[in-house]
Amino acid sequence: MDHSLEHSFVDLLGKHQNIVHKVCRLYTNNQDAHNDLFQEITIQLWKAFPKFRGESKFSTWMYRVALNTAITLYRKSTRTLNTQEFDSIQYKIEAEPYDDTEEQQLKLLYDAVHQLNDIEKALVFLYLEDKNYAEISDTLGISEVNARVKMNRVKTKLKTILNP
Amino acid sequence: MDELELLKKDWGKRKPQFEQVSVDEIYAMLHKKSSSIVKILFYISIAELIFWILLNSIPFFSSDAYKEQINMVYKNDTTFYIVLSVSYAIILLFIYLLYKAYKNITATDSVRVLMQRILKTRKIIQYYVIYNLLMAFTAMVLGSYYGIVNDPVIYEQFNGFNQTQIIISIGIMVIFTLMFVLLTWVFYRILYGILIRRLLKNYKELKKLEI
Repeated sequence: MDHSLEHSFVDLLGKHQNIVHKVCRLYTNNQDAHNDLFQEITIQLWKAFPKFRGESKFSTWMYRVALNTAITLYRKSTRTLNTQEFDSIQYKIEAEPYDDTEEQQLKLLYDAVHQLNDIEKALVFLYLEDKNYAEISDTLGISEVNARVKMNRVKTKLKTILNP
Repeated sequence: MDELELLKKDWGKRKPQFEQVSVDEIYAMLHKKSSSIVKILFYISIAELIFWILLNSIPFFSSDAYKEQINMVYKNDTTFYIVLSVSYAIILLFIYLLYKAYKNITATDSVRVLMQRILKTRKIIQYYVIYNLLMAFTAMVLGSYYGIVNDPVIYEQFNGFNQTQIIISIGIMVIFTLMFVLLTWVFYRILYGILIRRLLKNYKELKKLEI
């Protein structure tokens, strides 16, 4: 086992771990599932790390492995999912003086995003991470035009969920 | 304001608080075992290979009396050994194809390519199962035929049968063979159905985008 490789990997992941947390946030509903997925993504990242040649940024490379794990490789935990738990424990938004209505709207939005399917969540995630359509299409393996079309559909879907 | 724009503003500006995983915890995770779908499929394919190889090898592990009986039924027919060698060559080919397919699976591919590669390994295993079911079916039919023609005991018994009895016996054999094939098929449908249901759903979703 190459210790320097392990060391640099742990160091990089430690710095960029919020990317993994954010993916876990979108794809899981409770703390246990979040931790499970975090671990599986870490294992997959580590397995793929020897092939990481630094051609892209570590964070960009992470998006791909993390999403692949969440969408395809990870087997959902069989534990009962409790969305209530999700809201109350893990993901408290930092308390700043904030407009109550906007706060409420955001909560509804996060709930709505949770109702999207796995592919739609990936689109939303990359969009929120400020990735352009070229990167989105490259990560998902679809054409740029289709990524745009799908993104518009997702926006419409979110609107429908929020205003039934 | 666009709903997603509001979310984006929040996503970037007020990063949600995540409990940070420590360096020690990350080190510990690196030595944990993955429970990915690919690993499960890999173990199942190994189990498949071993199961069918063992099933094909039963004559070699069984008693001398059984071997003798087999030799009598097939009369040391070279065709029998050729078929056996070919079937082992085919198993080796499947092992090679599976190995290659699994080596090609990498989490750094695009979401779509990764799914395609996993589905390809499942296809190979599916062909392997279909091949084995066909072989099992053929073996049962040929085995019965050779048994009736070459085994004096069975031959005697069949000789005493009238036409209706022969038709009924053949009918029973065919039904049993078909039931065996059908049950195995249903078992695989359920097994893979459960395992890759989510993957298939997501893959269809991605494919739908290309239309």
